[in-house]
Formats: sequence, structure tokens, C-alpha cells
Amino acid sequence: MVKLLKKELFLSAAPITYVFLEAAFLTLVPGYPILMSGFFLTLGLFYSFQVMRENNDILYSALLPIAKSDIVKGKYLFCVVLEGIVWVLMVLLTLLRMTFLADSMAYKSNALMAANPFFLACALMLFAGFNGIFLHGFFKTGYKYGKPFFGYLAYMLVLVGIAEAAHHIPGLSALNAFGFEAIGLQLITLLVGLILYIIITVCSYRASVRKFDRIDL
Amino acid sequence: MSIVTVSNLCKSYPGFSLWDISFSLEKGVITGFIGRNGAGKTTTIKSMLNLVHPDSGEITYFGLPMGGNEAAVKARIGYSTGTVNFYPKKKLGELLKVTSSFYPNWDEGVCKQYLSLFALDTEKTVSALSDGMKVKVNLLLALSHHAEVLILDEPTSALDPFSRDELLDIFLHLKETGVSILFSTHIISDIEKCADQLLYIQNGSLLANESLQAFMQNTAQSGETLEETLLRLERSARNG
Repeated sequence: MVKLLKKELFLSAAPITYVFLEAAFLTLVPGYPILMSGFFLTLGLFYSFQVMRENNDILYSALLPIAKSDIVKGKYLFCVVLEGIVWVLMVLLTLLRMTFLADSMAYKSNALMAANPFFLACALMLFAGFNGIFLHGFFKTGYKYGKPFFGYLAYMLVLVGIAEAAHHIPGLSALNAFGFEAIGLQLITLLVGLILYIIITVCSYRASVRKFDRIDL
Repeated sequence: MSIVTVSNLCKSYPGFSLWDISFSLEKGVITGFIGRNGAGKTTTIKSMLNLVHPDSGEITYFGLPMGGNEAAVKARIGYSTGTVNFYPKKKLGELLKVTSSFYPNWDEGVCKQYLSLFALDTEKTVSALSDGMKVKVNLLLALSHHAEVLILDEPTSALDPFSRDELLDIFLHLKETGVSILFSTHIISDIEKCADQLLYIQNGSLLANESLQAFMQNTAQSGETLEETLLRLERSARNG
């Protein structure tokens, strides 16, 4: 598994993908739709898939002494690890906004989403959508990435739109709590997000292995 | 002793079917695989490497089915599908470093020996290599981990006559050490030079699976060379 991940990180990935890890710091920008920071990472991952296809990586991987299913595993590992790095950065920056910066007027007067556990749950749902729609769609053919990415974009726009505006709906203002207000509800949404991320990613991985095994390279 | 067996392999595409292909590869035997373009050589080889999903049939290596043992089997075999056509902008050295990490029995000494023999520069990018050199890179990858079986799809087709001659000598040397080799080719003299066994495929069906000597005795007409025999068989198939 380590060899697969190393191969993905050091040979297959597009260098620009790593630049997009910095997008996590958009979490700190006041008045910005901060959920887009997660989208920028997935855009970086998409670039890597473009480069992988350009380099005929799937055929190269298939010729290595690994099972065909390991090719899928390598790509999922790569995405999950980078998603994990960005999400941990988002967690740290969210904690910063919830504690030291909790009284900042720049954040309090923000009409958009606040950085809180609900935001982190939404970021996980964004990544789950990438894994469930883009990765699964890609492994149906092993080379077509346009249609799966288009599907993911549509999902992302709906998710970001709803998440950024949800707290304006009467009764849902607690989703946009500052600091540690409504922390119980916030943590429940985070837990649900985490569980859904795991379920969707695992199901997507299993389905991708099955589909990829059936295709001819 | 059979170390690779292909049994009743079938694969259908629109307009083409590979039909009931069965053969085995013996230890220390070189098998030449011949047939015209589109006859089914590459589909057979890709099926053997699990790159293509056969409709039916079974492929075993060292007594183990490929399905379920893919990683273990691939670590003991070497294979190439034509020229290296991946990671064109990566340096050969980088590609070797990553590839070697996957093989438990990768031999750096053997790798260096073939790098020198094939005059390959690890500082060059893959795209800077000629087609012939790209074939050699594939062979280098296949030969550097003490493969017990080599499965090579047209390894000589992009090589100059001198490199081809060197490569066929390497095949003969590997055969002496017990390595089993299957190679497809359009160059009949390559088969004449080093093959012990002949697989001849026509329109997806295996027409011959026997020793080169037996094929000539059973199929060649008086005074015919191997090339003349194969051309006659192809002509008669074309004319119905």
C-alpha cells in the first residue's frame, strides 16, 4: 500500500495538485464562500487525473506486479490522503476562527457560511461527492474523465449553494453558529458528515474495483 | 514441465473473435507467435496479462490461476507490450526507481548490465528515446527481476537488424538458464533463428501449436521455407 501511494505521490500526480493544498487557507478569508476551498483541492486532483491519462498511467500501473484492483486502490488512496490533509488544515483553521478569532467583526458580519463543525461536515460531503461521482465515474472506463467531472461539478454547485445559504432559512440559523454556540448540533452534523464520507468513499471504491476489473485496457 | 497454460481462451469484439485458444509454455523453451495484423496475437497476450478480460477460458502460471494470484504471478514474469509509451517526459532513471520498488526480486546489478548492453542513458527522458530504444526499455524492465517467463508483444519490430540480432542472442542465453519465452512477431527470420515452438494464429483461431520442426514436416511443401509456407497459408485463407 505504501509503494502504491508513493508511486501516486511522486510519479503520477501533477505537481500543481500540491499547490491546491494551500486552498485550505481560504477558510480564513472573510466574506468568501469558504467551502470552495475544498473544491479547489478536487480541481487539483482532477488535474492529476488529466496528467495520469496523458502519461498512460493506467497501462503502466497494469504492467506492474500488482492486482488490477490495486490500481483503483492507489488512486483512491491518493485522493483520500490529499483530502485528509486539506481537511485537517481546515479543522485547524476552523478552530482558530472559533477561538482566537471568534469575536472578529469581519467574520461575524459575514453573510456566508461561518467556519464551524457544520462547515467541516459540508467539506467532507464535498469530498465524498468527488469520490462517489468523479472517481467512480472515471473507473467505469479508466480513461473518460469529462463526464464524471461535469457530474461532480453539478453536485458541488448545489452543495455549496445550499450549504452557504442554509442558515438564512428560518430555523436553521444554528448551522451558522459562531464560536461554540450550538456546539452539540454542530458536532452531530460533523459526525453525520464523517460517517457519510466513509460510507460513500468505501462504496464508491468497491463499485470502482468491480467496474474496472471488467474493462479491457 | 508447463509453467504457463492457456486453456480454451475466447474473447469476442464486434467484428472479431478469438476462438478456443489453448497452448502451454514449457520451461527453457522459446515460442514464436506469428500471425498477420489483427489475427489475435495482441488480444491473446493481453488476455494472458489480465489487460483484457476474456469471455471464457483459463490462464495459469506456475500451476496458479492468474485470477486471485495476479500480483504474485506478475512478480515472476516479465512482459512488454511493444514500446514504452508511458510517462514520456519522465527521466528513465525516475521510471526505473519507481518500477523497481514493486519487484521483490529486482536485481540492480542485472539492471545496470542491461542498461550498459542496450546503451540506455538513465538521464534521458522516455520521449527522447527512439522507438527501438523504447523497446529496449521495456525489455530492461522485464529482464531486471529474474523473470522465469517472458511474454513479449513484437519486441523486435522497431529494432535495427543489429539490435535484433543482439536481442535474439539474449533470448538464446536466457533459454539456457531455463527462462521460458513467448514472443509475437511479423519477422519470420526471428522465429527461424531462435524459436523451438511455433504458434500460428489466423482470424482468431490457432492453426498451429507444435515444434518448428514438426510444423515444417507437417505443413511445408517440398523446398518451401517457413516464410513461403506461412504466406501460402495466408493466401489460401484469403482466397477462401
